[in-house]
Amino acid sequence: MKTFVQKNLKAIIAVAVLVVIALVLAQKTYYALIIGLIGIYAIVADSLDILFGYTGQISLGHAGLFAIGAYVTTLLRMRLGVPSLVALVLGAIVTMLAGFLVAIPASKLVKHFLSLLMIAFGQMVYLIVNTWTPVTGGSLGIGEIPYLNVFGLVLNSNLKCAIFIWILVAVCMLVKYRIINSRTGRAFIAIRENPVAARGLGIDVRRYKIMAFAISAFLTGMAGGLYAYLRGFISPETFNGTQSTLFMTMLLFGGITTVAGPVIGSAVLLLVKEVFQSLALYQGLIYAVFILIILFFFPNGAVGVYYNMQAAMKKKSNKKAEEQEVAKNA
Amino acid sequence: MFTFPVILRLVIGALMIGSVYAVLGMGYSLIYKATGLMNLAMGDFLMLGAFVGLTFYKTLGLNIYLSFILTFVVMFIVGYVTQRYLITVLLNKGASFSYIILCTAGLSMLFQNGVQLIWAPFTLQFPAIFSKASVPFLSIKVAPENLLVLAIATVSAVALHFFLNKTRFGTAMRASALDQTAASSVGIDVGLTKGITWGLSAALAGVLGMALGPVYGVYSALGAMIAQKAFAGAVTGGYGNIYGAVIGGLFYGFVETFTAAYVSTAYKDVITFVILIVILSVAPNGIFKEKVIE
Repeated sequence: MKTFVQKNLKAIIAVAVLVVIALVLAQKTYYALIIGLIGIYAIVADSLDILFGYTGQISLGHAGLFAIGAYVTTLLRMRLGVPSLVALVLGAIVTMLAGFLVAIPASKLVKHFLSLLMIAFGQMVYLIVNTWTPVTGGSLGIGEIPYLNVFGLVLNSNLKCAIFIWILVAVCMLVKYRIINSRTGRAFIAIRENPVAARGLGIDVRRYKIMAFAISAFLTGMAGGLYAYLRGFISPETFNGTQSTLFMTMLLFGGITTVAGPVIGSAVLLLVKEVFQSLALYQGLIYAVFILIILFFFPNGAVGVYYNMQAAMKKKSNKKAEEQEVAKNA
Repeated sequence: MFTFPVILRLVIGALMIGSVYAVLGMGYSLIYKATGLMNLAMGDFLMLGAFVGLTFYKTLGLNIYLSFILTFVVMFIVGYVTQRYLITVLLNKGASFSYIILCTAGLSMLFQNGVQLIWAPFTLQFPAIFSKASVPFLSIKVAPENLLVLAIATVSAVALHFFLNKTRFGTAMRASALDQTAASSVGIDVGLTKGITWGLSAALAGVLGMALGPVYGVYSALGAMIAQKAFAGAVTGGYGNIYGAVIGGLFYGFVETFTAAYVSTAYKDVITFVILIVILSVAPNGIFKEKVIE
């Protein structure tokens, strides 16, 4: 029997190498910021994976949930003086409640109308944070958000914050893995594959759909709070409808229902954004072309491409082995 | 505040924008009925129409009627090509609905950013179509461009109704929406009708966009908010029902205009989405009871 380490040796080495590279790069504040952001978007993409990848519920309104997490955390911290870590958790819980409320009607609707509802939800949150100036600061946003304080350890640099974020990314992945490989996860997959058959098996479809929404909202809200702490500044433009589409693109680019997919997706899309930062006008265009290319040519994402390559190589080596066998016999 | 001229002015404003929502909503419903899909790039067809119209009218100096007709033709081709060469290809690969929705979202981004590169990243001025700045209407004065929008929207809606109900091709379209297999077995080219449905809804959106040019100016996000309101209208009326879309569109036109006038300008859009979410929650089938629940 192979141990966990032996089975995943390649992956563990890859992760270790990446961690070292990231730590070296993160000595520069700017790179630390990017690495932190990749972690935050990876959490969002992971949360979308639970909802879309496993349960089959599309959401083009996750930027709204992300915004709720960011704004609630910030406002609790700055207006009410709630300790920063508590504010982060409360922000995530409020977002979960919001997700729960949306999910009650959303879980009834068929695909198109679900996406409609989520778009409307995202748009509503965006408009509210934009117009409710006395509380949210309107289009100017809120600045000078204090550092995150984790049990007395003040995360007063991007590097420290990024490390904390990546610890949470690891926790999220573990949580996702545990959920997916449980009774709940199997119910999610059954609902995605065929809601009617799932109901026939005695799965309470609505309950599990709502659960998927709530879990997804919790993680996205937490990511929103982390974003506020990392950037120290939030404004409505971060949370518009395009952002929701980008979250979906990150997930699709990386590959749904995979462990590494969300991380790869968020890393690649964020790097593309940073590389083309100076060409602001082309940025949206590049993203758009990206989405279309992924949809048309790589619907299984980057991880899917890797698996396809692996399968093709295996086929090749199998063929070779077969030929040798034939030659030997002859 | 509640005098007759003020109310009349508001009603005309509401009818103008409401009729735009109505026609766009008819486009959504038409596409949904014929292909079972949702098109998030609808507002961008409208916006693209405004840019194309501007090019014909201002840059090439064609006369206004010819500009409208050419815009109709160009946008028809854009819609047709989108359906035949993007959506169908994706569907043939076995893509699910979610992927089609994302594809149209990607198209929407492509159009919005593309026009900024081709034309300009700022608002372009659409020259006045009429020589007079305002015409008397009952006791008030109205900009003729606003009335033109209302007229074009009304004509489009009525023409669409007759096209669907009184022509052979309209009958074929309704037939393939009802039952694809049966329609193709009596010799209807279902693929072609689907393409033409997309083409028609894009063309109508484009013509309206051009008509809106002089009212709002021409810019890349012109269609974004309009499309979402039209969407709300189509859902409220009963998604898939073109007459429901008209009623829903007009309803949101009135809600928006009167909220802005008597409640709050800042929150007029928020209220639209709150109403939409409430409707999707309590009565997702809309006024005409189109089936949307699993």
